[in-house]
Amino acid sequence: MVDLAVLAPLDWVDERTGAVRGTKWFLFRNVPRDISWAQTLGFGTLIAFAVQTLTGAILAMYYKPASEIDPTTGKPLAYASIEHITNDLTLGWLVRGMHRWGASVFVILLFMHMARVFLFGAYKYPRELLWITGVLILAMGMLMGFTGYLLPWDQTAYWATVVGINLNGTAPFAGPWLSQFLAGGAEIGSDTLAKWYALHMLLIPGALIALIGIHLYLVARLGITSPPWSDEAAGRERPVRKPTGARAGLVRPGSGSK
Amino acid sequence: MAKGLGEQNREWYARYKDDVKKEGKAFFPRAMLHDTIMGIVVVGVIIGLAVIWFYDADGTEAGVLGPWYEDPAEPGTTDFIPRPDWYFYFLFYLLRIFEWPETVVIATVGIPTILLMLLIGLPFYDRRRERRPSRRPVAMVAAVLTVLSMGVLTYKGATAEETLGSTLIADGVPNEWAEKQGFVGNQKAEAGAELFAATGCLQCHIYLGLGAGNLGAPDLSEIGQTNDVAYFVQYLSNPARFGNTVMGSYSYLGQENLAALGAFLEASKGGEEPDSR
Repeated sequence: MVDLAVLAPLDWVDERTGAVRGTKWFLFRNVPRDISWAQTLGFGTLIAFAVQTLTGAILAMYYKPASEIDPTTGKPLAYASIEHITNDLTLGWLVRGMHRWGASVFVILLFMHMARVFLFGAYKYPRELLWITGVLILAMGMLMGFTGYLLPWDQTAYWATVVGINLNGTAPFAGPWLSQFLAGGAEIGSDTLAKWYALHMLLIPGALIALIGIHLYLVARLGITSPPWSDEAAGRERPVRKPTGARAGLVRPGSGSK
Repeated sequence: MAKGLGEQNREWYARYKDDVKKEGKAFFPRAMLHDTIMGIVVVGVIIGLAVIWFYDADGTEAGVLGPWYEDPAEPGTTDFIPRPDWYFYFLFYLLRIFEWPETVVIATVGIPTILLMLLIGLPFYDRRRERRPSRRPVAMVAAVLTVLSMGVLTYKGATAEETLGSTLIADGVPNEWAEKQGFVGNQKAEAGAELFAATGCLQCHIYLGLGAGNLGAPDLSEIGQTNDVAYFVQYLSNPARFGNTVMGSYSYLGQENLAALGAFLEASKGGEEPDSR
């Protein structure tokens, strides 16, 4: 019965995709015996990102990226929709609050995770690409913060973004083009909002998800480093000792130093 | 033992793989347990922050974690001090250090780009196999210095104070300007001085020692020596036409206000100490 209802379809899928073998490969691998809380920061960051994705998707269902004045409230549409989410929707305040504060938690965890990797020297061979994808994830995370800041369309959002766009304008060569692109017109308004909204919930998250996918694959493929002061075999540097004297020839090289 | 670094690395890594396979613990479920607890803590902290934020604030009234929202965006009022999210404070403060027109690009592009390059390149210029912190003094000192400077810049950015235009007017600063620049009685210029204080020009410009000097904006104390009202009005309406892509347009202020600002700028000849130029 189980065979027919569960295993057979799984086999069918696995035969065509390798998904079951892939999942097994990901889950049933060994990690060094002494990895502990310090190595959970990366997973914590992932969870914070998942919270952002989920709450962001819910917010997107009610948010209106437009600066025109809403005739019923007399306020800009984007601002009014944020008010509506915060005040009227069931648990809307919680979803928005989690998205707002989750962003900060995400950035803090990114930095803590990076500090751990630096302290443990875990960016060294063969994990260079893990480090690079990680730095790119950090940069994308900062861009998410930058683009998301405008969306509530309140005074802080607006004026911080004016400064932010002007900052981009100071870049050599690309600067004027960049600030023109970001502002989306002569003044910061609906065109700007729509553009930043698209960047914030389509383009940058797309890049982030791809980068996180690569990052996770590399973690599983290359393995986790134990602390550099580890006593475990897997974490320790052991010189390959050549057996000498009477034991020469009796001991296999590499098995001598535990 | 004249093996290359690459070969040593490969040997060492092959041994690591072997050791983990033989003596490691299973990722699932043993290591996953720690991860799961960490995940629950993270979600808990986020919910906790959201709850504190919501129940301690009310609308635009701020609680410990700030208000739900500020007043709606108003492109017309510049009587507002922009503040980025906390993780951009360091950049925000860097801008106040490199405030001169020639150097602003160091803060906006130079330093962030160099930092990013150093960060991305780390595994390539730090290629030694040594991982113990006690044997990596240079790396550890660099890390401490980085954390300290980021911390100080973030703190300075968080506590940096800027003067609101309305406070300047309440303190009678525009009248002082009129006296110093000698345009008392020139009603247009006096109205322009108030506007200059109210519309946030000092968030970027410096005038008679006041202001921020952000984004490479020049000191305007002696700007009246260079041009006349008509030029200033045109410049304020569309700075981009004069090759200034950093400053935004102030055409929304309307012709009358722009004329007043222009009169004020024209009357700004540097004050008591006449310039020899």
